[in-house]
Parts: sequence; structure tokens; C-alpha cells
Amino acid sequence: MTSEEQINIVIDDKRVQTRSGAVALEAAIEAGIYVPYLCYHPGMKPFAACRLCLVQEEVEVEVEQDGETVRQRQLRPATASCTLPVREGMVLRTATDNVRELQHGVMEMLISEHPHGCLTCHRVDLCGPTDICQRHVSVNDRCVTCPKNERCELKESVRFLGMDLNSPLSYKTRGLDLEVADPFYDLDYNLCIVCGRCVRVCDEVRGDSAITFVERAGRSLVGTSRGTSLLQSGCEFCGACIDVCPVGALVEREHKWDKAVRVERTVCSQCPVGCQLNLEVNKREKVIRAVPEIQAPANHGQACFRGKFGMEYVNHRDRLKRPLIRRDGELQETTWDEALGYIAERLREYKGEQFAAVASARSTNEAAYLLQKFTRTVMETNSVDMDSNGRPGLTRALSDTLGYAASTNSIWELEKAGCVLVVDANVTEEQNVVAVPVKKAVRAGTAKLIVIDAREVELTHYAHIWLRPRPDTTLHLLGGMLRYILDEALAEPGFIEERCEGLDELRTSLEVFDLDAVSRITGVEAERVREAATMFATTGPASILYALDNVPQEQQPMNVYAMTNLALVTGNVGRPSTGLYALHRGTNQQGALDVGCVPDLLPGYQQMDESPGQHAIQAVWGQRAPRTPGLGIRDALTAAQEGTIKSMLLLGDSIDYSSGELGDGYAALQKLEFLVVHDAFLGAAAQLADVVLPAATFAEEDGTYTNLERRVQLLKRVITARNSEAKPAWWLLSSLAHLMNAPGFEYSSPAEVFDEIAQVTPIYAGISHGRLVREAVVTLRPDPGNPQPTQMLYSDRVSQGIQWPCPDADGPATPMLYESGFPDDKANLMPLEAPAATQLTTDENPLLFVPGRVLAQWDREVEVIRTDGMNHIQREELLELHPQDAAALDLSQGDAVEVSGKGWHVSAAAYITEAAHPGVVSMTTLFGELAARLETSEDPDPMSKISGLRVCPVRVKKIAL
Amino acid sequence: MTNQVQDLRDTIRKAITSQRSKIVTPLSSLLAVEDAIGYVPREAVEEVAKLTESTVNDVWGVASFYTNFRFTPPAEHTVEVCWGPSCHVLGAPSVLKAILGHLKLTTEGEAADGGITFKYNTCLGACAQAPVMSIDHHLVGRVKAEEALKWVRRLHEESGAGAVRHIGSHGRDEDA
Repeated sequence: MTSEEQINIVIDDKRVQTRSGAVALEAAIEAGIYVPYLCYHPGMKPFAACRLCLVQEEVEVEVEQDGETVRQRQLRPATASCTLPVREGMVLRTATDNVRELQHGVMEMLISEHPHGCLTCHRVDLCGPTDICQRHVSVNDRCVTCPKNERCELKESVRFLGMDLNSPLSYKTRGLDLEVADPFYDLDYNLCIVCGRCVRVCDEVRGDSAITFVERAGRSLVGTSRGTSLLQSGCEFCGACIDVCPVGALVEREHKWDKAVRVERTVCSQCPVGCQLNLEVNKREKVIRAVPEIQAPANHGQACFRGKFGMEYVNHRDRLKRPLIRRDGELQETTWDEALGYIAERLREYKGEQFAAVASARSTNEAAYLLQKFTRTVMETNSVDMDSNGRPGLTRALSDTLGYAASTNSIWELEKAGCVLVVDANVTEEQNVVAVPVKKAVRAGTAKLIVIDAREVELTHYAHIWLRPRPDTTLHLLGGMLRYILDEALAEPGFIEERCEGLDELRTSLEVFDLDAVSRITGVEAERVREAATMFATTGPASILYALDNVPQEQQPMNVYAMTNLALVTGNVGRPSTGLYALHRGTNQQGALDVGCVPDLLPGYQQMDESPGQHAIQAVWGQRAPRTPGLGIRDALTAAQEGTIKSMLLLGDSIDYSSGELGDGYAALQKLEFLVVHDAFLGAAAQLADVVLPAATFAEEDGTYTNLERRVQLLKRVITARNSEAKPAWWLLSSLAHLMNAPGFEYSSPAEVFDEIAQVTPIYAGISHGRLVREAVVTLRPDPGNPQPTQMLYSDRVSQGIQWPCPDADGPATPMLYESGFPDDKANLMPLEAPAATQLTTDENPLLFVPGRVLAQWDREVEVIRTDGMNHIQREELLELHPQDAAALDLSQGDAVEVSGKGWHVSAAAYITEAAHPGVVSMTTLFGELAARLETSEDPDPMSKISGLRVCPVRVKKIAL
Repeated sequence: MTNQVQDLRDTIRKAITSQRSKIVTPLSSLLAVEDAIGYVPREAVEEVAKLTESTVNDVWGVASFYTNFRFTPPAEHTVEVCWGPSCHVLGAPSVLKAILGHLKLTTEGEAADGGITFKYNTCLGACAQAPVMSIDHHLVGRVKAEEALKWVRRLHEESGAGAVRHIGSHGRDEDA
């Protein structure tokens, strides 16, 4: 079929323009004509199971009348509109008597399996929760005992059809128990109408198939294999099934009975994907539910366990409400005036090289910009960074080769990729929604997936080729692939000739990467490398996703060069569904980098020397930033440890202060003379502080985030915390600068701060809060009272964000970089240097431990036990190790062992296999365990405390059982 | 992993990897397992999911759809009574009643002593001989209630003696 064509049809006498390939139901919805439906859902393939969305087509036929042939208009039999493709000139009727009669019949059958006292009652909007039911509906079936009461799609559909007060079919309850033992979900299959949306979204969209239809015909229901817990059925707890459920069968456990008084849309703060979420707010100003926005460009209606179930921290009672100041060694409540006055006075002592500031991974662009401006102009140092910036090379190296330090293409282009290469990235957990288009394309058979990772992570299960090198040898593998592609003439010479330079130097540098050597070093068979290289080079368009989790920080830029080279020589840059995606971890890391919250660059990637950009910034600021680059997060913490940095200002706490990613962060903070922490909780960093300031969370803040596809999106203040003096960072920094008599900080709103960002950052020049609001997709709806899937109900005007570079206020955004060329005319093919082997192990811990985490392992015995009414996974973990190591440790198959690293230990059974690399041991756990742990966590914000899967040195010893 | 479970998994793997048909699906694999060991244990669902690169839930969706799959080990002997239309009109109800009464069952299932599995069958394919029952997949035609009971009693007496060999539940004699 050719690309989409415009098609004109008529629905209920209304002219409707739609596109070829659409079905009649979609055309009707887009035109604002409501056709009742329950199994169709936008974003999923039509299923035609509920048989509600009936329409009749009007056609002209020739009939014999009194011996003459006349043309007459006739209605064809009713058919399901969700599977009726549109044709030019089609005429449809959605509300004929015949259609309505059939729909009534269908609905009666449907609700004979669902309590319908609540659906057909005329008093439905009149009763309060404690009123006596006047319809004598049994207690269990009353509308007020359904968690979806007042937001039930089925009820709205029933009421639209004007069903009679009494359905002739009596309702028979299934008598099933509520399933409440799994994390996050409450499942009541007594309410299920078996529309299949949940099963289909899990299979079609998420690619998980964690639930299925069980049994057949009249007994058919939704369930898992043998009725096991979701913990072991491969569920990733993304909540997509809940979001599409039209009834109360699947609901979020937290705030299950709470009613929303309003719904606000903002951007999720948990990771750099930038999912837009509709947050439901109750009358006590608590965020009670998160529903991902279906029209949002970055997530297409999807979310993950963090976004769907990780917002509770916003409401947490342990939130800091008032500033704290350390008196006599103890933190005591104080006022903002006193706290700010004290900070202003103390900070004066530390101007210059004794001071460093660190933004939070969740800081907005406005906060990050003001923090660097404050640090540079008021504190007179360049030592400003972001706490998640432990791996600056990930994005920065892209600017050396291509021009911009950012991912090249948009997330959902991955759906159309022919080949996806994922390098050392745990996408399903760290940037979950990025994995959705990848899994979808692989499951649909349109994309090949190559995963390079020493760890067994979720995507390795979907991979056509999983290369499992020794940790720290990723570069050799990439070099080997690159050389094979060039040697075997699999490259695109035209693209290289026209758009790249440095091919000869690259070729020379690749001499050391011959496949035998590569195979020896990485432990991957040469044939597998050949296969992967051929697949990548010949199955276009190809995209590369990378996080380089297993690569030491100092080697990361070289790895990025290698991947950029791979993309360039195969012509996979500047075209749809190609390019490189740097999967960093900080929510707004891209934005912080863009607005200059880094120690060596000014806003908009401007150099600190006497460049025109620097002069422009100086003109706006009225002051020059210090000339010497400052210290990044890693160096600043080292300097604090050594005593050269004496004072720090931290926006937020970070898992990385203790995860080892940045060394021993808290020990360094402890050495400081004066520490100010602006955080929502009294976390580990705040407890070390001299002044603690209560921070507003993302839900209480206006501002912008820039996601990993360079999309600047608007955060909207969703709630106003009651009885709390928590403030956003931009306000804090403006006030503090004012108290320190610094000019240029007179802002009345984040929008004003952003206008200044646009002034000094050329790539943001055309963006403003106003434009972000203005440029939105508008969803047409019949009227707000009409039934729609919950996810559609919240859509209305959905801002699409703006992908930089966007230099003009009325100019276009740039969804894809380098389409028409590179900033420096040509891209640089960077020569590769084989790294010297780094010593990752120590004498004390001589083995490398490779942790993995997957949704399911079907060949391993799992037992689910119940503790305190909740499901928990119990199984014997296996430690995979090479026979050589096993012999050295005197282990035989199945022996109990203890693995210990720095500050932790875990026991397992030894699984000796030739597939393991000598010197490397690995263990793969189930995601379900993590989900159960998150659910029962006492931590106010457990989602931000999930430590990544890091390769680390360990020792193994045999233990007696 | 205990040895018993390991053995079971090995048997299942052997059954599903040595299927002769060109197209291997979850359904064909489940049938292979049922033929080999007479039922579909949890391990089989997992192994089939692995082999067919689907999830246990997908496989379970197929397995639970067909009433012919059983998920617990069958008893030593299987008695099936056809309750299709021909058999029904020619006297199957009295046969059913007699057997159920004898086995102290109200519907399909295993008799309390565990020796016999009783199943309804919608058609055994021998309508001319109706009413028909099958004893360990050997058909008995034109059966009357007393005769049926005689067969069942005999099975009880022989139970454990191995007089009638165990045959896969799809009626294909393993020795044939």
C-alpha cells in the first residue's frame, strides 16, 4: 500500500475527512461522533469482540420496480465499525433503529456477567456513599462498592444506550476472591467483562504477555498460567492493563477508593523519557493516581512501574515542611527568612574555588539554569554540575563526532527501525518506555535486535543476537564489528564519501581489532561477531541505544566514538529510525547540560573563552563567568574529601552518593564546613547539612524538562501542598541571590527564567512556555459527558513539546538531527584506541560479579510464598561460574556458595558452565522480587533508590548448608 | 532442582524437540507432551514456552482452552463414555449413571481410590455401535449398564496388575 491518502466519507450526514487504512470507528471518533465500544482502544489492533460498535453502511443498489431498473439507497446489515476499513465515498449511519436494537441486545448479554444495579440505576448520580440503596441491590454489587464508581467506562456506555431500568437477564456473580496479594494491583475478576483490552495491551503494546485468556467459552476469563502470581508470570508492573480497563476489575491499590476532584497533566520526574502523565488529585490535594497520556509524543499512553506507582512520595507525610537550621549540632525548624539570611551570610565566606553546587537529576531547566548562573555570577566559580552526571561522556562524546551532545532521533521512531543495537543498557528498568517500541517491533517481526551486554537483562530475551562479552571489553567487540563491516564492504561508501571525514585514520586504527584478537579478548566467538556486524550493516534503518553500564567511565567516550562510527559507516545517521540514543539516567540531564549546568560549558554549549556566545551571555548577565573550568560532581566530591571544597549547595539527594557510581559521596559531604541541601525529605544528605530547605516536588512546580530525545516539555503545578512551606528551586535561588545583593535575579515566574534561557541558549531561542502551551494536539470529543476510555477522557489539548534545536520563535522544531547536514559540514569518524585492560578486581575480591534482572525465567523453579498476605518469590538463586574458577574454589555443581562484595553478601547455588567467562560470575534475579520490595518499602521515594545493575568485584566461598 | 523434576523436564524436552511435524506450535508441543506422559504438568508449560519463544501465559491460554488436556497425572486406567447424540438416544445416560455411581463420582474425575480416571467423550467415532464406551482407549460397543459395570469392576480387580497397558491419552498405542 502506498502512503496514507486522504479519504472522504460521510458519517450520519456529516462530511468526515480521514486517511486510508483507518477503520470506520477511528474516523467517527476523530470526527467527534460517538459510537459505543468497549473492546477497541486507541493504539491497539481492532479486536471486534464486544460487537458494540455497530454501524450500517448506506449503499446504492439497482432494483427492479414495475419492470424497470431503478437505483435506490439501501442500508446494509449492521457491522462492527472497528474492523470496517474506510473507502472513498463511504456513507455510514451510526444510530439507526436496527443498530440501536442490536446494541441493546449485545449490551444486555455483556452486563449479564457484570453487576448492573450500578449501571442502570436512575439514582446513580444522586446517592452518597452511606445512603441506603433504594433499588435493593445486594451489598456487594452496589455502585458505591466499586472502585471505579463515577469513572466507569461501561456505565457511561450503558447510559448512552439508554438501557432500561431492569435488564431482563439476571446477573450471576462469579463468586471469585479479590486478588490483592501482588504488588500495586487489586484485581476483582467478578467485574470483568472479558473485553480483552488488558491481555492485548500486555501482548501487543508492551510485548510481555504476562496475562492471558484462560479456559474457554462461558468460563473464559483473564488470568495467568495456572493462576500463578504476577510476580512470576513476567509482569513488569507498568499498569497498562489498569489504564485500559473499562470497568473496576483492574485498579491501583493505593488510593483505590479515593475520588479525584481534578486531573492535571505534567511530565514524569522519574527518568529521562519524559512521559506525560495525567495526575488525579483528590480534595485533600494528594496525587492519587497517574494515567499516562495517550496523545503524548514521548510515551504514547504508556508508563512504567516508576511513573504509574512511584508518585506516592509527593504525598508522603515525611515531606519536609519548613526549613531546618543546625543549632548545637541538631537540625531545628526555622523560617525561610532566617534560613536564607544565614545561608547568604555564610556563603559569602566561600566564594570562589571553595564552593561547588550540584543540581538534582529532577531539577527543571529553570532551576538548573539559575543554579549555574548563581554559582558563576554570585559564587564566582564554575564548579556546578548535576548529581546524575557521573557519566558525562555518554552524551558529550557525541558532540565530538556529530556536532550536538544529544541523541539524534525520537523515541518512537524505534518502532519502525529494521535493526536495533542495544549496548550495555538495562532499558526496561532505567528508561522503561524506550523499550516499548523496541519490544513491539521485535515481536511484530519487523525489527532485528542485537544486544551487547555481559548482564542478562530483559532485552536479551528479545534479542536475535545476544553478544555476552567479558565486562569491560565492549569496545573490542564494537571495534571488531566495525572492522568487519569495512573489510567486507558492508559499509555505505556514498554516505561516508559525502558526509564523513577521517575514514583512512579510522581504518588504520582498526588494525588491532581483527576478529581473532577480538574473540580472544571478549570471549565471544568470532562467528557471532560476524553475524551481528552483518545484521547491523544490512538490516536498515538501524538505531543504537546505549548506556554503557559495564564500561568504566574513562573509556565511555571511546565507546561512544565506536558506536557513532558504526552508525556513520552504515549510513545510519540523519534518516528516520536511525541514529544514536544516549540513555543517561538523570530525568533532566539533557536539559541541565543544555542550559550550562556543567563545569566546563556555558548555557547552549558555549565555550568559556572570548567567544561571541560568551559575550552574549555576559551582556545578559551583566557579569562574566569565571574563565577557568570548575569541578564536576565526581571531582567536587573528591575535592570535598580532600578539603579544598569547603561548602556545597545541593538541590536534592541522589542514590549515586551511596551507590558507588561517584565514590563515597556521603563521606565527602561530611567533611564540608558548610552544606546547604534543598530536598523534599530529610534524606542522608540533608542529615549532614547545616541548613535544610524544604523543596517542592515536580508536582508542585512549573517549569520544563528536556527529555532524552531533546524534547522540551512543560511541567505544570498539579497540587499545592497544604500546611507546607516547600518552595521550588528557582524561587530559592532568586531569593538567595537577592539577599546576597546580586543583580539579575528578579524573576516572577519560571516562564521568565525560561525566556532568559532562550536568550542565551541559541538552540532554545525559539522556545517559550507560551509556545509550549500553544502548540498542542487537540482531541475532538463529542462532549465531555460522553463515554470514552479513561485515557482518552483526559486528553484534550496535549502539548507536544519542542525538540531543539529550535532557533526561531516561529520556526520548526528538529525531531531528527543531521537530516540536512552536520554543523561542521562533515561528521568525524574518530580513530579508535584499544584501551589498556583496566584492573576491575582486587586481591581481596578477585572475581567480577555481573548482576542481571529479567521478568521471567521459564526454566527455573520458582515458588511464591505469602508473608503478611503478600506474595513473595522464593527460589534458589544460581551463581554461574566457569569450571576453571569452580575448580580453584573447590566447588562442584550445586554447592551452596556465598558471594560477597563491598558491604553486601548473598547466597546461591553454584552453577558451573562453560558458557561463563573465566574470572566472571553472574547471577540473574527476577524483576518480581524488586516489585515486591518496592511495594513494601518504607522509604518515602523507593523508586529513586533503585540501584542500577553494576558490575563489581566480589569473592565467592563455599558454605555448608 | 531435584532429580525427579530434572528427569521430568528431560522427558518433556525430548518429547517437544522430537516432534515430527514441520510446524511446531504451542498446541503441537502440548499434544506431544500429553502423548508422552499423559498430562501437561507445569514444567511442560514452561518448557513449551521456552521452545516456542512465547510466555507461559500464552501457552496456558492454549492449554486451558482445550478440555482434552489434563494437568494432573491420570490414573492408571481411563474409562470414557460417549455422550454424543447417537449414544445418548440409545442408552448412554443409564451407562453413565451406573459408572458414576460405582465410582462414587458426580462428574468427570478420578475415582477415590485413584485407580480409574473417568471422562465424558463427545464422540468416539463409532456411532453405529452406540452406545460406546472406551476402556483404556479400547472401544466397547452396544454396551449396557451391567456390561459397563463388569468392565469397570474388572479394571478394579486388575488394577496394578498391568493387564491393560497404559496408553497415551490420545488413543495412539505407544507400542504400535
